[in-house]
Amino acid sequence: MNEILAQGPGPGAWMLLAALLFAIGVYGVLTRRNLVAILVSVELMANAVNLNLVTLSRTHGSLTGQSFALFTIALTVAEVVVGLALVILVHRTHRDIDADAPSRLRG
Amino acid sequence: MTPTAADLAVLAVPLLVLAVALAVFAVDLILPLHAGRPVEPPGVGTVRRGVGAVAALGLVGVLAATWLVRADGPAMGGAFVQDAYALYLQRIALLAGALGVLGSIDHADRRFPDRQGEYYLMLVLSVAGMTLLAGARELVLLVVAFELMGIPLYVLAAMHKTEAEGVEGALKLYLVGAVSTAITLYGLSFLVAHADSTRIAELLAREPTPMAVLGMALVLAGMGFKVGAVPFHLWIPDTYQSAPAPFVAFLSVGPKAAGFAALVRIFIEGLNAARDAWWPVLLAIAVATMVLGNLFAVPQRNVRRILAFSGISHIGLLLVAFGIGTAQGLGVLLFYLTAYTFTNMGAFFVVQAVGRTRSDDLDDWRGLARQHPALSLAMLIFLLSLGGIPFVAGFWAKLMLFWAAWERGLGLVVFLGVALAVLALFYYLKVARSIYIEAPAEGAEPLPPLGRPTAFAIAIALAGVVGMGVVPGLFLDPALAAARALLGG
Repeated sequence: MNEILAQGPGPGAWMLLAALLFAIGVYGVLTRRNLVAILVSVELMANAVNLNLVTLSRTHGSLTGQSFALFTIALTVAEVVVGLALVILVHRTHRDIDADAPSRLRG
Repeated sequence: MTPTAADLAVLAVPLLVLAVALAVFAVDLILPLHAGRPVEPPGVGTVRRGVGAVAALGLVGVLAATWLVRADGPAMGGAFVQDAYALYLQRIALLAGALGVLGSIDHADRRFPDRQGEYYLMLVLSVAGMTLLAGARELVLLVVAFELMGIPLYVLAAMHKTEAEGVEGALKLYLVGAVSTAITLYGLSFLVAHADSTRIAELLAREPTPMAVLGMALVLAGMGFKVGAVPFHLWIPDTYQSAPAPFVAFLSVGPKAAGFAALVRIFIEGLNAARDAWWPVLLAIAVATMVLGNLFAVPQRNVRRILAFSGISHIGLLLVAFGIGTAQGLGVLLFYLTAYTFTNMGAFFVVQAVGRTRSDDLDDWRGLARQHPALSLAMLIFLLSLGGIPFVAGFWAKLMLFWAAWERGLGLVVFLGVALAVLALFYYLKVARSIYIEAPAEGAEPLPPLGRPTAFAIAIALAGVVGMGVVPGLFLDPALAAARALLGG
């Protein structure tokens, strides 16, 4: 028991945690109606990716995953910048940032 | 690892496109283009259009340069490779970009004159991402190039930023894009864990494990979102309906080509050994995309939505071509993408030209041929090409695709494809019927005269469609050669 505690959780546990984070993110994207909350959920999904990458870096003892994670973080930031700008546009045109507000396009 | 001069020579195409982007940015900064001055200096309108001309000429210049300068081979330690396959896709991207800029000049000048600079900058940057993506053989580079291609599209989709519909379409594109990026990255993280490397060549070397299969499924789902395969297609009609029409022309072809470039690099070059794991799933997605795209298109009355759903059905056919996996199949994929680029861009340029004073509803298109015979004839040829009628580009694309699928033993898919092609003719000809047979609505004013850049863009698209129909070998032979070079056979 003490040995296990000393070692800390293994890679499987970390990957499970990442999978949970990812699932929570997907759930948030699907159920949240507030656009900012949806963006936060996408961030959770992206961070699950980072956790996964760092875990595999640790298990393989290489830097591959860690360096990949750095790129993912930068990309996510770039994406969220555009996303938040769009949320502001939605607020300007619809006076609301509820995801159901923009729903004119049908057919 | 420092890039050497040889590396830079191999990276010439993406670097040149980036140079064009910087030139557009500089011209936009230096010239007095921005509105909001109390008195506009005379001639500023002409100068403003100059930004578009810089972007268009720059991209055409790079496209021409791909024939003059050739530096094949790997660069940056093998992360990027400039091979015949990458070159072909780069030419498609440059063609789509140049046509997209050309077709945008009149529209941008009319709708957002003081933001033209950023519009062209984003469009050229997106093309730069595509040209880089075409040769990416390393997952980090692939992902970064994909985002360089993708993020500007969200900005471009929202160019009509004061219109509720425009913002809504952009938001849908963005949410789908961001979620699909996250899913793709999650899948890639498993693939990287599987191979302990970001090199695509390393993926090939390993036996597939359950983790790799999970990764493949996630990447396939994420890419399915990007190219708009069923069941991830819902954003396409809404975005196509609301974004600036010349941008939609670009969006409907460029990013699709890029998506297939990435799929081919990951799945054919990297994971062909694990073909049995992904091929059945892919085939199911492809068939569903073909069937549903066509079925949804039938009841539509809005020209843009018809083109959007027809685009989805074409994605299904492209997925079949991709999944066939032989040199024949990949060559057809490249040829099909070229034909689709000319055809769909031309059709959307006509939509833009008509949409200046009319809605996209078919009722507003009635009797167009009586007032505008040339424009109507162009639209008819684009529609026939989309439908696959002989002696225009789309016919050879479909024929070659069905032939390649038949040789691969996919007889059922071929029968289904032919049946759906007949169904597709129904809704393509529905548009043609409105234009040619029905009487114009009472008091329908003729359209204002076409701007020269738009007319030129439509003419080039038309020349491409007819040219590919008459001498398909000119495009097909290099495509097949490029595919053979990629598969090494």
